[in-house]
Amino acid sequence: MNPSTSYFNRLITLLVVLLGIGSLLPAAAHPMPNSVVLLSVHAQRIEAAVQIPLTELQPAFGHAVGDSSAQLVQRLGPELRAYLTQHIKLQSPDGRYWAVTVGQLGVHETQNPLNGPYRELTAQVAMVPPAGADVRQFLLRYDAVLHQVVTHKILVAVHQDWATGQVADDAEPAQVGIIQLDVRNNVIPPLPVNLATGSAWTGFRALVQLGIRHIAEGTDHLLFLLVLLLPAPLLVARRRWSTFGGVRHGLRHILLIVTAFTLGHSLTLLLGTLGWVRLPSQPVEILIAVSILVSAAHAWRPLFPGREAWVAAGFGLVHGLAFAGTLANLHLEAGPMALSLLGFNLGIELMQLFVIALTLPWLLLLSRTPAYPWVRVGGAAVAALAAVGWLVERVSGRANELGQAAGQVAAYAPYGLGLLAALALLLTWQRQVRQQPGA
Amino acid sequence: MQNHLKTLVTVLVVSAATFFTACKKDDTTTGSTTSNTNSNPDPIAVSTCASATGIAKVLCLADAFKSQLEASQITTLQTTYSVANAKKWSNLPQGLVQGTNKRIGLSFGAMTTVQVQYAKALIKEISGTTANEGWDEIQQLLNADEYLGANGGGSTYGAANYYIAFLGTPATTGTFEIQFGGHHLACASTYKDGVLVGATPAFRGVEPFATFTLNSTTNQPLQQEQAAFSAMLTGLSSTEQATAKQSVTYSDLVVGPQQDGNFPATPIGLKCANLSASEKALVLAAIKTYVYDIDDADAATLLAKYTAELDNTYLAYSGTTGMTTRNDYVRLDGPSLWLEYSCQNGIVLSPTHPHSVWRDKSKDYGGN
Repeated sequence: MNPSTSYFNRLITLLVVLLGIGSLLPAAAHPMPNSVVLLSVHAQRIEAAVQIPLTELQPAFGHAVGDSSAQLVQRLGPELRAYLTQHIKLQSPDGRYWAVTVGQLGVHETQNPLNGPYRELTAQVAMVPPAGADVRQFLLRYDAVLHQVVTHKILVAVHQDWATGQVADDAEPAQVGIIQLDVRNNVIPPLPVNLATGSAWTGFRALVQLGIRHIAEGTDHLLFLLVLLLPAPLLVARRRWSTFGGVRHGLRHILLIVTAFTLGHSLTLLLGTLGWVRLPSQPVEILIAVSILVSAAHAWRPLFPGREAWVAAGFGLVHGLAFAGTLANLHLEAGPMALSLLGFNLGIELMQLFVIALTLPWLLLLSRTPAYPWVRVGGAAVAALAAVGWLVERVSGRANELGQAAGQVAAYAPYGLGLLAALALLLTWQRQVRQQPGA
Repeated sequence: MQNHLKTLVTVLVVSAATFFTACKKDDTTTGSTTSNTNSNPDPIAVSTCASATGIAKVLCLADAFKSQLEASQITTLQTTYSVANAKKWSNLPQGLVQGTNKRIGLSFGAMTTVQVQYAKALIKEISGTTANEGWDEIQQLLNADEYLGANGGGSTYGAANYYIAFLGTPATTGTFEIQFGGHHLACASTYKDGVLVGATPAFRGVEPFATFTLNSTTNQPLQQEQAAFSAMLTGLSSTEQATAKQSVTYSDLVVGPQQDGNFPATPIGLKCANLSASEKALVLAAIKTYVYDIDDADAATLLAKYTAELDNTYLAYSGTTGMTTRNDYVRLDGPSLWLEYSCQNGIVLSPTHPHSVWRDKSKDYGGN
């Protein structure tokens, strides 16, 4: 996971999602804040995140929620739950009603250019269809606020839908429709919802892509691995990195390290996703920064020669915990979760292998040249600098320039790779010219 | 002795202050050109059109305005007539209007002061002459937006963000519409073969709602509307009030921008047929605060139509009768007339502010 993004990532994503709704959905010229219903569609149930502006709720609910929102949930939790349960109904095509449970309630402040800052009630609502009924087809009979405030509008959108591949946290919600008064006939028509049928294959593919993206954007994971690979082709002599140990030695070593890292993070990804192991994200992120620092130190002087694979596996366990957070947040059911684990991990490995395949040939070539110590120590120094930036950032909880700069390194990776390749080719050519007899 | 000196100094200071204040007052009352120095200038008197009347004067002023513009400005100002373009209006500042609904035409911000004065000469001509209605109201609404811009709203607000458009070429034959609007304001005058065939949809709203002063002018553009609606409601008997009162809440207008033709099939509230003469007069007084926004001659014609239809017009309201509290709402729904007023929370400033729309069920956009 990316440096400054890691802590603020979820918050920022949430903000983007919340603020995005306003611009994405056609609020038209409606100066009053709308309600928003965001659906997370699962195989057997739908979880909805409902947002209701307090000023609009007040006349409908009958309590002073808009004028006095302090401790609202403590004061009026049961009443709010009863009210929402009464006004949120889902009906399958055969006429049967769904089970609706109002979960966590909250109050938070939001704003948009049309309304300025305002407070809204947030509610997590679980909606389960009757036995045998399709979760993707229903009538949404939602009239909270609207039964009283006839000018109110409720924007309905899908936030997450595994089966159609909508899983990325920052993906734009897909609009389903608007619930509003039919002015001409003075009735509130229910919203028919027919979600496109998805498939396990689509969900699986989306998770592979998510895994690929996760590594492509998560500079810190790659940096750890690349820096660990820096001295891999080398032999150790008198507690110092010595010369190139041969292609076979190099490849064997690299394969071992990469496999160990994969085994480590796969294990904790599995355990973390299943909820068997769960650590708060801050210590995990701090440990990831430490892992880079350790591998950088090792690239400078051999700290644990011959035991790189164990270290890779050990820190792999830590990196896997960070990966697990992404999957756990999807709150998937067992079947899709198993496929997601597989797909997400596959995506991670694919991207990892892709980057290694792009970098490794040049490292192997360079490691045979006298300039390699410079490359190795230079690389280690840059990685150490980035790791220190992230470490400070993750311990203090405040972004710093070093950490932010390190996070943007990924954008320049193609240039760095080009430079590396050019350097490797140039030095190899020079070396061969020099070695040719009579040259 | 010292006391005398003190008195003398006080007298001198007070005299000097009075003198300066008096001079300042003189400056602001020397005629319409004084406020030209501000960002919301008054219309210019176009002498070449002075002797014309009726549609001839409208066309003369439209041409005079165009004669002041560069060719590229005219291209922006004037498009062919289409209902799709006519429907592009909003109550929001242009910067907050969604893409396809953004106003077309030429903004005051893209004109010189003199060009704006020529544009305003035309708008004034097609507007009413009643104080605080018609042209006076429009200029006050522009002042209100200038005030909003200067008091926390920023550059999204202000007279520069108001747009004028000619849909079709103004002429004695064919159809054209003079469209003018910006934040809290929409004017739509549709002409066919030299006759005004549509004066709506017309939107009026204002923030600040309370009286405010801008460039030494006192403004209260929509307080007459609020007072007229309130008088109409409080003039009803308690039984009539109960029939008119709706139990549901309106936090906004129902048939606002882009809701064209979306009128209820069945009117709600109190039928005006059974009202006393004085109560009917109060209903008409409220209607006048909107109909008198257009030129006096056409206003008289429309008012006659709405008066004739008054018995079949329904009156409904929600909230309080004061029309200044959030969610106060009133509606007049007749065979042709649709008039709505809604009191909402302030956006830039804190107290409430009104939105209102006047529509004609058959003659919005000239019936097109």
